[in-house]
Amino acid sequence: LPASLGRGWLLATRGWALLGSGTGSCSCLRWRHQPPLLLRAARRSIGTRAGGLKAAKPGGDSKDVSVQRALNEETLVSAAQKVKEAGRDFTYFIVVLVGIGVTGGLFYVIFKELFSSSSPNKIYGDALEKCRSHPEIIGVFGDSIKGYGEATRRGRRQHVSHIEYVKDGLKHMRLKFYIEGTESGKQGTVHVEVKENLETGRFEVRYIFVDVETYPRRTIVIEDNR
Amino acid sequence: MEEYAREPCPWRIVDDCGGAFTMGAIGGGIFQAIKGFRNSPVGVNHRLRGSLTAVKTRAPQLGGSFAVWGGLFSMIDCSMVRMRGKEDPWNSITSGALTGAILAARNGPVAMVGSAAMGGILLALIEGAGILLTRFASTQFPNGPQLSEDPSQLQP
Repeated sequence: LPASLGRGWLLATRGWALLGSGTGSCSCLRWRHQPPLLLRAARRSIGTRAGGLKAAKPGGDSKDVSVQRALNEETLVSAAQKVKEAGRDFTYFIVVLVGIGVTGGLFYVIFKELFSSSSPNKIYGDALEKCRSHPEIIGVFGDSIKGYGEATRRGRRQHVSHIEYVKDGLKHMRLKFYIEGTESGKQGTVHVEVKENLETGRFEVRYIFVDVETYPRRTIVIEDNR
Repeated sequence: MEEYAREPCPWRIVDDCGGAFTMGAIGGGIFQAIKGFRNSPVGVNHRLRGSLTAVKTRAPQLGGSFAVWGGLFSMIDCSMVRMRGKEDPWNSITSGALTGAILAARNGPVAMVGSAAMGGILLALIEGAGILLTRFASTQFPNGPQLSEDPSQLQP
């Protein structure tokens, strides 16, 4: 069936190309004037009901009907294919949506971590700056101070350990990170607590103090706003 | 634990470089084995030999490019940690961008910018995933000490 359909299409298109016509409704008129050879060949391949070269009009009609049937069958076949393709496109669409959702979620997390003023990373950065500019800390640790958080596997120490809790209806957060003087080699632990300020919506520092790991232990209080 | 007692940064470069090479070699090995198997003439002997040849030729190349990426990334990361003096997600994102830019340097400035953007975005995604995982893992465990009092180191 597909082969005959293909041949029918080929002859039909050749017929159209010969006559230089466009639509099917026009071509049925023109096929009456076709050369008989082409008509007989077309009739044989498509299998018309009219036998023999009776008259141009029945031949033309059957040819017209056959070509239209060819058109309809083509659309029926492609309807089934269209359903399959639509299903496949839908699956791909869902996959793309899921991918975009996951990527968007990850971007949101990283933006919130880096740019929001209430993220632990930002508070750790501010506290580290305050430590670096405090004269007593400079006296103990030296000029260049580096800060780091908890050590995960692979030795990367980016995670700052923090705990959030609610007290008296306000959010508090406690952080703990470590500082080290690169020259003197001394180590210290910095404890920070921040409290949420409801008017500005940001976190305010409640206290910052540093535990120096010397013997005897020494505590340096940088800020105390309790 | 001894591996955390010593300073991670210089050794991290070697660690990352080797890890990246292994990932690239194993992944490339599997991929090239299948590809070589399929692109060989019919017959199991032919196919196995073709697969082995493909693995021997291509897998080290992929491992090498992965190792270059990983080693360069780790070097820039450690340099930034040393310069800034603190460890941040910003270091990773900037290192990824610079690595992408340096590795595309042969193709001109526009390609460098594009490669830097891709590297930065990729690293930002990886960092976001890492942060999500650590936050998720830390909320699994219940709260430790009671936090109602201020620490004893602060005088009242």
